[in-house]
Amino acid sequence: MSPRPQIDHVRRPQILAAAAEVIVERGLVKTRIADVAERAGTSPPAVLYWFRSKDELLAEALTVDEERFYVEMREGIHLFERPRDQLRFMIEASAEEYDWILWIELWVRALRDPATREARQRLDNRWREEIAAVIRAGQGAGEFGDADADEVALLLGSLIDGLAVQATLNDPAVGRERMLRCALEMAESLLDCELGAAAYETAAGNGSETSKYAVRETVPHLADPELRRELE
Amino acid sequence: MEEASARRPEGPDARERILRAATELIASDGIDEVRIARVANRAGASTALVHHYFSTREELLAQALLQSFELAADERFGAGPAAAASATEGLAIAIEECLPTPGEGEREWVLWVELWLRAAREPELRPVAGRMYESYREWVGRVIRRGVESGEFRRVDPDEVADLAMALFDGLGVRSLIHDPAMDLESARRLAAERLGAELGVDPSALTA
Repeated sequence: MSPRPQIDHVRRPQILAAAAEVIVERGLVKTRIADVAERAGTSPPAVLYWFRSKDELLAEALTVDEERFYVEMREGIHLFERPRDQLRFMIEASAEEYDWILWIELWVRALRDPATREARQRLDNRWREEIAAVIRAGQGAGEFGDADADEVALLLGSLIDGLAVQATLNDPAVGRERMLRCALEMAESLLDCELGAAAYETAAGNGSETSKYAVRETVPHLADPELRRELE
Repeated sequence: MEEASARRPEGPDARERILRAATELIASDGIDEVRIARVANRAGASTALVHHYFSTREELLAQALLQSFELAADERFGAGPAAAASATEGLAIAIEECLPTPGEGEREWVLWVELWLRAAREPELRPVAGRMYESYREWVGRVIRRGVESGEFRRVDPDEVADLAMALFDGLGVRSLIHDPAMDLESARRLAAERLGAELGVDPSALTA
């Protein structure tokens, strides 16, 4: 309706990338449109031309972040032929590369803002569909058991979120290894397959089936005394 | 509210009232919207009195979150599962209590999610969150250890299964809390019971109340 402002030189993706940076640094509440504009090298009206609110900026910034994630993930997936390697790659990618602060911000906003809730739902559905597609491919190839692919995807997504909360709040360096192992083990158990979770047992682990016991010996406080006697 | 105004503004319970008002406002409006003046108003106190007990807004919010979880811990991390007739029944109670039940459970869960965000963002709050998770982990671990020792559960590492259980409760619970159409409370309970049942060698139907 109104004439288009002369702001085409500042692209939407640049504003979104700037928004993601500022939101991660400061939190949505302390992020001002002016900060995003400054980071993107433009003016507040140019930001407001593309985005009506900060909530919209958050949701869109995550969508862009997510898009980049999927592009990278697809490139990575093509390196693998077998669905089970692809699934493992997807779980590793989600555990390692994600910016969980933005996700947690999204949950908090979703508690009170319906539009943010929808945006979160859209992002979550997409992730679940990607995982379910790989699971179906694996089932078709006879690599996975016949569990309900959508439910496995839902469980895996939920588990990874829960693990990410723990990893984000505790020591991230320690958290990621454990997070990966736990997610891979659950996928193995649900799909009756081998994804190599054992390789994440311990930095000193040998990846063999006995590594579960190896970590208990390396880290004695993890083991219950009876199990340790049995091993010795 | 009438309770608050009937009391003297000062006295030993004033700090208590201020903290309770703060947790109520965090739950209803979100932590970022909480202002000292509104907390004071709700607690029937002056802003000066609030500042007397809490030097900064951040300190008030941290203490409110901390106390809210410590109060919950008295109930939640209390006798429920331990008093159950069996470890299996205890775990069923734990699953029920760790997911966002309507009312009080949801209110507590909102605070929980707010705590995640604050702790992720503000390193000085991380010890608070760390303590919460530690007592949570010990409590879940005890429930599982009991079943391992009694032979009701498979001989797993209780701490590892506690980590898995907590991650499931958090990941399933937050979806149920924000009304993911694929995850109502019943589905969250069923999925948690199925996974933990498989992990522990227990019939999942024995884990849903």
